[in-house]
Parts: sequence; structure tokens; C-alpha cells
Amino acid sequence: MRKTTALLLLLAVSAAGAADLPPLGHEMNPISPPLAAPDFKLPDMDGESHALSDFRGKVVMLNFWATWCPPCRREMPSMQRLFEKYSERGLVVVALNQFEDPDLVFEFTGRLSLEPTFPILFDRESRVSEQYKVKGLPTTYLLDRQGRIRYRAIGGREFDHPEVEALIEGLL
Amino acid sequence: MLLLLVAGGAQALWADDGGIAMNTDPDTGIKRWKVTADGLDIELIQVPPDFIRASYSARGLPPSVSEAVATRCVFGTIVRNVSDMPLAYRVADWRYMNAEGVERPIKTKSEWLEEWHGMGVRFSWSILADDPTFAVGDWIQGFTTLAEPHGSRVSLKVVWSIGGRRYEKVLSNLECAPAPENDA
Repeated sequence: MRKTTALLLLLAVSAAGAADLPPLGHEMNPISPPLAAPDFKLPDMDGESHALSDFRGKVVMLNFWATWCPPCRREMPSMQRLFEKYSERGLVVVALNQFEDPDLVFEFTGRLSLEPTFPILFDRESRVSEQYKVKGLPTTYLLDRQGRIRYRAIGGREFDHPEVEALIEGLL
Repeated sequence: MLLLLVAGGAQALWADDGGIAMNTDPDTGIKRWKVTADGLDIELIQVPPDFIRASYSARGLPPSVSEAVATRCVFGTIVRNVSDMPLAYRVADWRYMNAEGVERPIKTKSEWLEEWHGMGVRFSWSILADDPTFAVGDWIQGFTTLAEPHGSRVSLKVVWSIGGRRYEKVLSNLECAPAPENDA
């Protein structure tokens, strides 16, 4: 009974939070001077390791997120649309899940209307987010082809907004 | 309207200059408060203790961690920079006043993480970031935890700075989430 009540409360609070969250903006703020993005190596859903350096030469959108974070969930479809639009021209989206189990994330992504096709990596102890000095979720960095951090956004965004697309066009 | 809060027996005098919107979710009874002032938008949402227990348990955190938070007065807090310049705040600068008029600091994320890391817990995401600098449009969310019983009434003084200028805002008459019936 207590467990059921807790789950109902969990759903109620989540729903209340999602209904009245602030609208997602589209600002990506420049990092000046650009900083070298720390390299890392993390497993994906299948346990296969990926390093950031594997993507050198591409423009990389690095997104720190978790399934329990409402704005993370809200912005994910716009990241997928962006990825679909620009992947052939050299954009890679990499989503770094924080502190969650791959099975839980697999179940979550299967329920999305637009299932992500970009890599989701697992930062199970948040060590990479510490390297990037991430203060809260979601946080997103945009890296240029030289592996430098050029833009940052803290909080949810609509990434397929024309102004974000213009920044990506400028980096491609 | 200027509402002066005079706490019985205490020297503190906090001015709440209004502008705070409060509403109650008709389905859940959860209350939330929201205000925009001087480039900062802040929203506080009651977080019931059972929500914290369920949420932390789902993350695999030990009961000692969830109970330490769940027994406090917790508000889900959303902070947004709505100015056209960078905005910074430090939770260490914030204060709350309880129903007895006693002014207290807020336990910061860094203080929580020090405890949790000492217990071997690496989870670091639920508590509101304690010293961020926001660029234009940035926002963040997390728990603000006050050492007060469930159902208490409190006032919260939020402090931030934009362009080297300090601002503050008092949100008065906030209500901590009530205790679950089976805890009463």
C-alpha cells in the first residue's frame, strides 16, 4: 500500500512538474575562449565503449541527461530531429546518461515518440560530468571539429530552433 | 503592497514586496509558488516525503540517504535567468525563517555531497546546484532542503547578483509539504 501511494505521488508530482515547466528556450551561449573538451571513454547500451576522440573531426553535441529529469525528456526529440537533419554533414549527438541503469534507459527510449538513433553512453558514477563541471541536468555542450567547447546551455532547449541550427551551420 | 513579516520574539524583519503567484494542484493538492524579480525567475514546489523516498529508492540509494532528505521540508526549486546578462547565486547566501522567527542557512548541495560521498554514494543530481553562474536563458532545477518539520510555514530569502549588483527577494508564507498520513 505504502509503495503504491509512493508511486502515485511520484507520478502526480512528475505530472505537475511537467505541466507547468518554463517553456524551453533556444539560447546556446558562447564559451570564450573555447576550451579543449576533456576526452572520455564510456559504454553504450550494448556495453560497447566509445571515446569522445572517436568523433574528432565532427561537430559534437554533448548532452548530459537522465530519464527522471523532465526538461531532459522534453528536449530529446528536438535533438533527434537535429541529428537527423545534420548527421550526414558531420554532426554527432552524444547523450551521456547520469547514474542510471541501461535497462531502465532502454525502456524509456522505447516509449518515446521519436526514438533516439544517436549514441547514448552511460556515465554511471558521473565522473565525466564532474570533468565537464556540470552543475545540473540537462547541460549541453557544442564542440567544434577541433574538439573545443564552443557553446553551452544549462537547462532544456529546443535544439532544432533556427538560431541553434545557424550555430551548427557555422561550425560544420 | 508591502507586507512586513514580524517574527515573534526574533529581531528579524523581512520585507516581502509581493508579486508571488501561488496555486494548488486540484488533483494532488501540491502547492507551488512563483515569482519573477530583477532578472530572476524562481518557482518552489512542495515535495512530499514519499516522493523523495520513492525517487531515491528507484535510484538505488540507501534508506539512510533518502531518510535524511525526506524528513526535511523540501521544495522542488526551478531557477531561471530571465535577464539579458549573466546571473549568479550562492545557496550559502540564502536564508529561511521558520514559524518561530528563527533565521537559518540552507544545507547546500556541496554539504550534502560531502556526506553522501563519505558514505560511498556517488549520486549527485537531486539537490539544487549551490553556486552556478547562468548565461542568458539558462535555468536549473533541484531540491532545496530546510531543516523544518513537514507542514511547517517558512519564509525564504533568495539572493543573487547580476552585473556585480546584488538583489534579494523574500518569498513568505511558504508551506512545507505535509507529512504522509501514515507518518502522523
